[in-house]
Amino acid sequence: MRWRYILNTIGVLILFFGGTMIVPLAFDLFAMDRSLMPLIKAMGVTVVCGAVMMAVFRHKKTETISQREGMAIVALGWTAISLFGALPFYFSSASFFFVDAFFESVSGFTTTGSSILCNIEGLSQGLLIWRSFIQWLGGMGIIVLSIAILPFLGVGGMQLYKAEVPSPVPDKLRPRIRDTAVILWKVYALFTVAEVVLLMVGGMFFFDALNHAFTTMPTGGFSTKNASVAHFDSVYIDVVITFFMLLAGINFSLHYQLLKGRPLAFWKDPECRFYLAMCLFLTLVVGFDIYRTVYPDVGQALRYAAFQMVSIVTTTGYVTADYEMWPAMSQIIIFLCMFVGASAGSTGGGMKCLRIMLVFKYCYKELFSMIHPRAVTHIKIGGKTVPEDVVRSVLGFLALYMALFALFTVLLAGTGVDFVTALGAVASTIGNIGPGFGMVGPVENFAQVPYWGKWLLAWCMLLGRLEIYTLIILVVPEFWRK
Amino acid sequence: MKIVIVGAGEVGFHIASRLALEHKDVVVIDSHPEALKRISENIDVQTISGSGSSPVILEAAGIRDAEIMLAVTDSDEVNLVACLVADTLSPSTKKLVRLRAADFDRYHDAFKANAPHIDTIINPDIEVVRTIERLMSVPGAVDVGEFADGRIKFVGVYLEPGSRLAGVRLSDLPILLKEDRPLIAAVVRDDQLIVPKGNNHLRAADLVYFISEEKNLFKHLSIFDKHATPVKRVLIIGGGRIGYRLAKRLEDKSLSCKIIEKLATQCDFLAERLNRTVVLHGDGSDQSLLVEENIHDTDLVVTLTGDEETNILASLLTKRLGAKKTISRINKFSYFSLMSTIGIEQVVSSRLSAINTILQHIRRGKVLSAISIKGEAGEVMEALALPTSDIVSKPLKKISFPKGSMVAGIIRMETIIIPTGESIIEPDDRIIIFATREAIPGVEKILAVKLEYI
Repeated sequence: MRWRYILNTIGVLILFFGGTMIVPLAFDLFAMDRSLMPLIKAMGVTVVCGAVMMAVFRHKKTETISQREGMAIVALGWTAISLFGALPFYFSSASFFFVDAFFESVSGFTTTGSSILCNIEGLSQGLLIWRSFIQWLGGMGIIVLSIAILPFLGVGGMQLYKAEVPSPVPDKLRPRIRDTAVILWKVYALFTVAEVVLLMVGGMFFFDALNHAFTTMPTGGFSTKNASVAHFDSVYIDVVITFFMLLAGINFSLHYQLLKGRPLAFWKDPECRFYLAMCLFLTLVVGFDIYRTVYPDVGQALRYAAFQMVSIVTTTGYVTADYEMWPAMSQIIIFLCMFVGASAGSTGGGMKCLRIMLVFKYCYKELFSMIHPRAVTHIKIGGKTVPEDVVRSVLGFLALYMALFALFTVLLAGTGVDFVTALGAVASTIGNIGPGFGMVGPVENFAQVPYWGKWLLAWCMLLGRLEIYTLIILVVPEFWRK
Repeated sequence: MKIVIVGAGEVGFHIASRLALEHKDVVVIDSHPEALKRISENIDVQTISGSGSSPVILEAAGIRDAEIMLAVTDSDEVNLVACLVADTLSPSTKKLVRLRAADFDRYHDAFKANAPHIDTIINPDIEVVRTIERLMSVPGAVDVGEFADGRIKFVGVYLEPGSRLAGVRLSDLPILLKEDRPLIAAVVRDDQLIVPKGNNHLRAADLVYFISEEKNLFKHLSIFDKHATPVKRVLIIGGGRIGYRLAKRLEDKSLSCKIIEKLATQCDFLAERLNRTVVLHGDGSDQSLLVEENIHDTDLVVTLTGDEETNILASLLTKRLGAKKTISRINKFSYFSLMSTIGIEQVVSSRLSAINTILQHIRRGKVLSAISIKGEAGEVMEALALPTSDIVSKPLKKISFPKGSMVAGIIRMETIIIPTGESIIEPDDRIIIFATREAIPGVEKILAVKLEYI
């Protein structure tokens, strides 16, 4: 472990990140809002810290970093940025405790969308755009962005990508990682612009449209309204947002293929098929469940079912209806969906459809070998054999995910929240969704969670976002051995 | 007619011996002196020791005035290079090449259109799989050939004891069976190939070859008491190249298929590439494995290991355990005559398949396809009756066909005619001729004679 190198890279990251604070600053300058000073202060602290770190840990140019160093950079970098991202909130008002600011910032960077704010609409424009913007940055991964930018600064990036996207089968679009990152970033930006335009066509103000586009594409879920998307109460806006949530939940390399003129890209990808079919199927099931019991009209039932299901499956976390008022079956489906998540390679969280598919196939394989003990079977996705070690790592991931879920539920319950809240909050944060159940339900927020509970949940979000392994490996003693 | 054969392996050997019997000039090239020795000791052909891909050797073999070159070594690469060299030295020579790697499958046409301008690419694996598919489609058949793009089938079946046709005189068939009757082309009795005449009798245990239109096939089969039983569950023993190809084809047809393979690495290869097929790691002669996999419910067992003794034993074992039908891959022609004795009826051979394909391209005149029957005792050819040849426009009885040959059918546009002595072949008819080995040169001569003068 070359600590100089790691800390230097994180310094560069922080410095760069400080630079991005110019965005909310610009909005505040334009509106001459009250959060101007706190933002300048936060930006100053961030830039100075970054520059100092960079200068202190200056080193000779290295071309390659090891996988371990890559993981350390990702995990520590993400945590550091979440800390600095909390500063604008912390400086803005005396009522912001540091834990709350940190929670909000982590929730942004991990594209979770859980909030501790009771009155979102009371926030200044600068802070509102900051909340959305950090989700947007977090979406494709601040690191992926850095991969697009940092190579210009002479920092190698191959290993970073490995740590950043440890999904079962990484798709390489271009041989060079930087090219790949730039391409994905362009696709991401393109969709964001398209969504802003479409939302404005539906009558949203530019500011709201931009905020919502910033939080839809990373499947974040921060809204500028207390009532989330329900505030607008428009079928058109529901449809637009549902559509873009669905897109954001699809592997971005497929978007790239689609834009390259391969119209069957979605259809040919087994994970994408699974994901889209699942969204459709669950919408119909839940729609059927809430028709008559909650909504007297089929159209309404389907509209709310579609929005909520897509929002939860893609791990966005917008709400247009209080699903805690829905029948138990729908609630349980929503709870389980929090574990499934969107596609690998998308901005969504959760376990990812690909892993779920692999586990199903693995289970089938086990049953199959009971019937045909001598059969040689391979687990295949899209006609290609998945290597044994990938299958093992996926099974390990699932076990770890569930174990951590169990552990954090117990710990959270220990801080004094009730049974349903503990389950819902941990499932929601570890899956980077947003709203949970009980005290942290869709029309509630995380403000009432006890002090230590907030810390726990903040770590849940980071764990989930960094696909468990990247962060948890830092607590394995073997990792630190020379 | 001069023919250069590159490669003195099994296929090269058999083609050479066939052609030598027909009095053609054959030159065999091989880099293994032992293989050449075996040829020169047995067959009257010229042999040259050296690499078939060498221009010097090919020159020495007289490639420039050879009409046909056959590249049938075990190496695809050598075969291709030999063709390339031949294409440069003598572009007019017809080139027939054996290419076995599946990677070439999609590029056959490219190799024909561009250098090395191969005229015919033969992949015996594909031919064997086709043969197996044909055997599967015709219940009870021991041998199935196709003419006129599959519209006409050439089928060999055993006459069961107690069949209503046993003991019937051929000239009585029209009375017994009315209009719809198959055309009996040949009978194999006690390993003797007989071209039947009207006063011959059919006997039980005869292997009867008949020709039939595809649409009448099942009706004709039922005359021989062979009834259609659809094949649904197939077990393949031996997952080599042919096994893999067959499994792939069966998957395409949505049949339930299992494949038993001994080598673990090959099992991995199969499991990776096949989707619905159950790949089993084990021995095809392992009784417990066969029982575990419900062998008694299997409609068809195809044994395709590289070892013919294993294939024979596995076929016998699976049949005893209740498999309804077996097809075995046997390469040694000397075993063919034993098969019916030990109770194996359906046999395929990649060598025979390769030879069949090669033969039809070597035949002079407009021979469209040719099928060897009963090892190599005889041949059925489909030929175009050239307007300039001797056989057109006169009654068949006036044409002096060589002894041991007969016209078994005339295809005129969409109809097939079962010929009598009075039938007349018209120009551009396709005729199906059956000939014993000895009669083949004479038949060729009749078909092509006038063409030579043009």
